[in-house]
Amino acid sequence: MTRFCRSAAACVLAIVASLAFSPLQAQQDKSPDAALARLLQAARATLPGACAQPAADRLIGILCAGRIRIGVRDYYPLFSTRVGEAREGYEVDVARAIGRQLGVAVEFDRVNAATRIPLLAEDRIDLVIATMGHNTQRDGQARFIRPHYYQSETTVIGPRALAVSGWQDIPGRTVCVTVGNGSNAELVARDARLMLFDEAGVLPERLKDETCTLAAQDDSFFAESFTDPAFAERYAQKFGFAQVPWGMAVARDGSAQLARALDLISQIFHRDGVFLELGRAHRIGTGFLEQQQAVWQRPECNTEAGAANDVCVLPPFNAELMATPFAGSVATFEAWFESWTGIELSLPMLATAPAWSMFKDGVANSLVLIVGALLATLGFALLFGAAQGSRSALLRWPVRLLTVTLQSSPIVLTLVIAAAIARALFPFSDAVALGASIAALGLTNGSNAGQAIAEAMLTLRAERTRPAGRLDLFTRALSRSATQIVAFLVNAAKGTPIASFIGAPELLSALTDITSFSSGRATTYTLLLIFYTAVVMIVVWLCGRLRLLLERRQAVPS
Amino acid sequence: MRPLIDRLSSDFLPLFLGGMAVNFEIAVIAIAVGLALGLLLALARLAGGVMAGAAASAIGLMRAAPTFVVMFFLLNAVPRDATLFGEPFALSGIMTVALSLVPYSAAYIADSGVEALRQYRGGSLPGALLFLPNVTRAFFVLVMSSSAGAAIGVTEGITIILRQAEQLPTLGDRLVLFAIGIVLFGIPLQAGFAVMGFIQRRFGRIVARRTEVMKAADIKIE
Repeated sequence: MTRFCRSAAACVLAIVASLAFSPLQAQQDKSPDAALARLLQAARATLPGACAQPAADRLIGILCAGRIRIGVRDYYPLFSTRVGEAREGYEVDVARAIGRQLGVAVEFDRVNAATRIPLLAEDRIDLVIATMGHNTQRDGQARFIRPHYYQSETTVIGPRALAVSGWQDIPGRTVCVTVGNGSNAELVARDARLMLFDEAGVLPERLKDETCTLAAQDDSFFAESFTDPAFAERYAQKFGFAQVPWGMAVARDGSAQLARALDLISQIFHRDGVFLELGRAHRIGTGFLEQQQAVWQRPECNTEAGAANDVCVLPPFNAELMATPFAGSVATFEAWFESWTGIELSLPMLATAPAWSMFKDGVANSLVLIVGALLATLGFALLFGAAQGSRSALLRWPVRLLTVTLQSSPIVLTLVIAAAIARALFPFSDAVALGASIAALGLTNGSNAGQAIAEAMLTLRAERTRPAGRLDLFTRALSRSATQIVAFLVNAAKGTPIASFIGAPELLSALTDITSFSSGRATTYTLLLIFYTAVVMIVVWLCGRLRLLLERRQAVPS
Repeated sequence: MRPLIDRLSSDFLPLFLGGMAVNFEIAVIAIAVGLALGLLLALARLAGGVMAGAAASAIGLMRAAPTFVVMFFLLNAVPRDATLFGEPFALSGIMTVALSLVPYSAAYIADSGVEALRQYRGGSLPGALLFLPNVTRAFFVLVMSSSAGAAIGVTEGITIILRQAEQLPTLGDRLVLFAIGIVLFGIPLQAGFAVMGFIQRRFGRIVARRTEVMKAADIKIE
């Protein structure tokens, strides 16, 4: 019996030992839960001695203090809002869940887009959970927690009745956006026209008052608007693009253990559906969270090394634009100019390759547009002048009617009509937009100049001079109406920037696009004003020479 | 097929008329500021010396400044928290468009003002009074130009038409709507030009009558 008992005990021990060292047990040991428990246990084991060490990891500091300082936003509906001392939202609840997991209290600190990373670096907060997109630029400023706790995308919102379903419907349309939004570059590349606003907060109102037909902004921003039944009934998400993962972040220095603990907590929260439940509770979009739960339940991701596995984690959004070869010199010049004058100069069109390319194209297209508008004005002036000065009523009256129509149409409307007809005839392209603009500017100004030529012909006939022929009469009428012709030529050149309204890729359009994803609006638009004023002054000078030439012809007796 | 009139929103006409009122409002502001600035520049030009040179340069620059670019410059280069004489100087959309038209109106009025003052000093009151129809012409040009506000979201007449056009399914419907817009803009414009023509003809007759009277007086003196 005793022998049997000894054998049984040995068997049990053997079974326990085999279980303890079995592959299954080894798998459990490598779970994120076990890794987190070991990490926290090891950190707590150093207390209280490590609390006095200045170089201790921030995790030690948090455990010593019994609280974690978390930076959150004060007003980002559904994600983090504050009314008095009460905070609520998805991010606030994520912060509280992290505090519970670490076994410490949570102290909230207010942050905004500008302060969230500096406050981490200054050790005034331990963790930031504040709608921060994880991109390659920010990777150098803070240590982002992987996996990401949310993902937003830029969503295009518009009236339900509007037939827009994807990029194919975007070229030539105006989209309201906020300045500095990284996704603006994508809209620009897809031939959208941008209307810029400083704050996203105005976009729902601008949609409602129909200032904007389409608006593009983070889907997390519009999430609150769609909780309003009236808004949801009238507007819909047309499509989304530029997905950006949101990351919690800690300081890059002295936070290795804290970051590791948070990586593991984030893994566990995804796997167990903690993030998903909190997302549902706050009525935010949960598609990403559902997809991430499935990812982190997979065996290859549900390990202590999952956060470092590229198959499981998402890469940061690549927001870096390629610099121009002379970007360094531009930065040096900007710094020198500021130190010399005290004026902050920013030349975004010279700093990055896409901006530089758009700038060059904008200048070239502007010059093409100006030359085209001048030639079209002159051409239409001659045609309208000849027709209106004709003795044939069949020719004269239709052209007169067309002239009155063009005079009665504001130039913006004429451009829109020209663009609508051009788009019905040809697929949208930069060349079509430029062509339509040239035709509209030429018709508007040419019809007026043509009227002046016709009036000059009438006066010449009334003076009963006897020109050698019709051509001579017409030539003398040109001379007599030289001032008017020149005035409308100058007007055509001045009017070219308005072509940006229908998507012509001239300089104003290009610079608006550039400033939508970079800084330096004041400098950019000042340079634009100088460019166009200088070009128009050159046109004025050239037209002055043309007028002298025409008037000299009049002075020569026939 | 439903006729266009059914597809237009019921409040289209009141909204459009409200929008046109904004066009006129912008033009009134632009002509008022242009009058103040333009007349000062005209006086400076006639003063001679350095002031005349400076005024001529300023007028030349203002004449060359494209309205649309000036509008975007004001919109983007003036900081939202800018102050003028210690007071907040945030420009509304309407003011932005109106001020962008000021370089044109001031330059035009300065040119017309110089001519009017020369005529007046030369003893020709009717010639000087031609300044008034010139200002009227500038006013209607400003009304039409104020449609540039559509590009920055100002709810003026063209904006209303373009918003309505977005809702129409076919190019034909949109072209008809645009034609309605041209007619609605054309009526006040052509009426304005007709009034201006009437005034000019009246001045012409006054000038002719005065000339005849003066000629008659000269004959008597002889």
